[in-house]
Amino acid sequence: MSAQSSTSAQPVLKTEDLVLYFRTTKGVVQAVDHVDFELDEGRAVVVIGESGCGKTSFAKAVLRLLPRNVDTYTGRVYLDGEDIMELDDEEFRLRIRWAKMSLVPQAAMNALNPVLRVSDQVAEPLLIHDRQVTKEEAFERAREMFGYVGVPESFLHRYPFELSGGMRQRVAIAMALITRPRLIILDEPTSALDVLTQANIMNVLKKIKWETGTSYMLITHDVATSSELADDVAVMYAGQMVENSDAESFFSEPLHPYAKMLMAAVPKLRGDEELEFIPGQPPSLLNPPSGCRFADRCPFRFEKCDEDPPLFLVGDRKVKCWLFEKEAQGVYGTQPAVATGD
Amino acid sequence: MAEHESSSSTVQTQKRARPQSTWERLLRYTVVRLVTLFITVVIGVYLTILIANMGGYVDEIRRSQIREQIAIRLQNDPAFRALPPEERQKRIDAEVAVEEKRLGLDKPFLVRSFNYLKHALTLDLGRSENMTSDSGSRQVRLILLERLPATLVLFGTSQIVLFALTLYIALYLSRHYGSWLDRLFVALSPLSSAPGWFYGIFLIIVFAAWLKILPFGGMVSVPPPENPIRYALDVAYHMILPMMAMTLSSIFISVYSWRTFFLIFSSEDYVEMAKAKGVHPRAIERRYILRPTLPTIITSFALGVIGVWMGAPIFETIFNWPGLGRVLFQAVQLFDTPVIVGATVIFAYLLALTVFLLDIIYAIVDPRVSVGGGQRA
Repeated sequence: MSAQSSTSAQPVLKTEDLVLYFRTTKGVVQAVDHVDFELDEGRAVVVIGESGCGKTSFAKAVLRLLPRNVDTYTGRVYLDGEDIMELDDEEFRLRIRWAKMSLVPQAAMNALNPVLRVSDQVAEPLLIHDRQVTKEEAFERAREMFGYVGVPESFLHRYPFELSGGMRQRVAIAMALITRPRLIILDEPTSALDVLTQANIMNVLKKIKWETGTSYMLITHDVATSSELADDVAVMYAGQMVENSDAESFFSEPLHPYAKMLMAAVPKLRGDEELEFIPGQPPSLLNPPSGCRFADRCPFRFEKCDEDPPLFLVGDRKVKCWLFEKEAQGVYGTQPAVATGD
Repeated sequence: MAEHESSSSTVQTQKRARPQSTWERLLRYTVVRLVTLFITVVIGVYLTILIANMGGYVDEIRRSQIREQIAIRLQNDPAFRALPPEERQKRIDAEVAVEEKRLGLDKPFLVRSFNYLKHALTLDLGRSENMTSDSGSRQVRLILLERLPATLVLFGTSQIVLFALTLYIALYLSRHYGSWLDRLFVALSPLSSAPGWFYGIFLIIVFAAWLKILPFGGMVSVPPPENPIRYALDVAYHMILPMMAMTLSSIFISVYSWRTFFLIFSSEDYVEMAKAKGVHPRAIERRYILRPTLPTIITSFALGVIGVWMGAPIFETIFNWPGLGRVLFQAVQLFDTPVIVGATVIFAYLLALTVFLLDIIYAIVDPRVSVGGGQRA
C-alpha cells in the first residue's frame, strides 16, 4: 500500500500531455488541458473536482469516446506501457475497448439498450473479444457476474425497464467486469442513487477490488463516499490535474490550495466548524487565464502565479502550485515547463 | 421465456400463472381494441356521409336536377305541350315524385343518412349517381376496384423505393454528419415545400415537351403492347416522370428528418456504451440504433402505405394516371356521393386494420409495450 511501490512497478495507466479540446459555437473549450497522470496496478484512484472541471472529459479522452465536435485530441496514453494513442480505431476497438478498459457510465439508467435483454448486453463484450467463447459460456459468465454484484439470477433474462435503478447500476458493473479488464473507469457510478444503494454499490466495488486486483479510476464529486475506496486521489481544476497524491496523505493534508479548500467544504461527522466555500467561480474553459488557473480564487496568491506552474514532485505526491517550488524534488511529466529553480 | 426462470421456486410459480393470464389479457386487449377502432370507423364514415351530402344540401341539388331533367324531357313531348299549364305542372310534379321515390329522396335525409351508413359499413357500396367504371359498370365497387391496380403500381412502388432509399441515405448521413453531402441534403430540404404535382409540371415541360424523351402522361402507350413483358416495360417507362416528381418533392425533407432522428438516437448513452464495449460500428447501427427505433420506422412506413392507397388526386390528374385519385377527383366534381363514401369507407377500414396490425407488431417488436395495462409480475 505504500507509495514506495509506485516508482518500481509499471503503471497500468499513464497519460502524458493529454489534450482534449471541443469546438463550440462560442469557441474552443479546453476540457482536458495537458494532463499528466499515472495509476499503478491494483490501485483505485478517485478523481475529484467540481462540476465541469473536465473529469468526465478526461475519462472520455482515455477511453477514446469522443463526441463529434472534437477540436484537438493529442498526447500519449499508455496502458500497461503500450501507447494506445498509436492504435487505429479498429485495433483500439478490438484490443483495448472492454478487453483492457471498461466503463461504468454516469447514468446507468440509460446505459442499457431498452429493447435488448440484460443478459445479451452483459454477455456481449465477451462474445466480441473472445472468439472461443460460446453463447452458453458467455451467459454462464454473465450469471456468475450477476451473483458477484448481487443481482438475483432471475433477472438475467429480463429487460432493463424491469430493473430498479440500483439493479441497473449493478448490472452495468457486472458488464464492466465480465471481460476481466485491467482498468475500470467508473464515472459517478452512485450519483443517481439513494444513500443505502450507494453504500451497497461501494461495498460491491471494494469486494471486487480485493478479489480481482482490478485497477479503478473513480470519477466523482462525492468525496465522502469515495474516500472509502480510494488509494490515490487526483484533483482536477479547470481542465488540469492540480494534485495527485496517495489517499492517506491527501485526506490528512491536501497540498494544493484548491484541494485544501475543497476538503474544507466536505461535511464531517463530528466537529462543529462551519463549512467553508470557495469564493468566486472556476475560470471559463473557453479562454482560461494564462497563469495558474486557480490564482483568482486563491488566498495564497503571489507574483509567480501569473505563470503556469508545472507539476512539482513533493515526495511521491504531485502538485501544480508555485508554493511548493522550494520543497519540490523536481518536476513531473512533460509540462510545457517554465524553467524551475535556475 | 419461461425456460430461463428455473432458478427459484417462487419465481416458477409466478411464471406458471403468467402465460395463461397473458393470453387472457391479450384477448381482452384485442377485443377492446377492435371495438374502439370500429367505433372510430363508424364515426369517420358517418361524418363523411354528412359532409359528402353537404348535410343534406346535395339532396336539394339532386331534386332540382331531377325536376329540370323531367321538365326538359316533357317539353320535347308535343302531347305535353298541348296541355293547359296546371295540368303540365301536375304531370311534372307526378313524375318528379316517382323519380324521387325511386331514388329514396322522399324520406328525410336523417333517415337516409343512417341507411347510407349501414350500407357503407357492410361494404354494400351500391351504385353511383352518374359515374361509370372503365368497363361501363355503375357499381361503385367496380369503379373503385378497376382503378386500384394503377394507383397501387405507381404509388406502392414509389413509396417502397423512396422509403428504403430515404432510410439508407439517412443512416449514411448520420454516420457522416457534417459532410458536404449532409449539408447538401439539409440545404435542399426546402425543395420539399412544393408538392409532387408542382415538380411534375416542370418535369413534363422539360422531359416531354422540350427534350421529347419521356411521355407526357398516361400509364401505357396507345395502343398498348401485346407482349406482357413489353407492356410492363412500357408502364415502367411511363412511371419515370411521376416517380421523379415524387422523389424530388419528398426525399430531401424525409432524409433530413430521418437523419436527425438517427443522430438523436445515436447520442443515447447506450450507444456510447456499445461503442466503449467495442461493438462493431455496423452492429451498433443495427442493434443499438435501428432496433430501438424500429417501432417508429414501422409506423412511419405503415402510415405512408395507407396514404398511398388513395393516390393523389391532383398528382394523378397532372400525369393523366388512371388511378383512384382521379376517380375521387371526378366524384367530388360530380357530387357523386356513393363513390366518395365508398372510397372513404374502404380507406377507413384499411386505416383501422393498419392501426390494429401496428398495435400487434409493437407488442412484438418493443418489449416495453406490455399488453393490457402494463402490470407485470
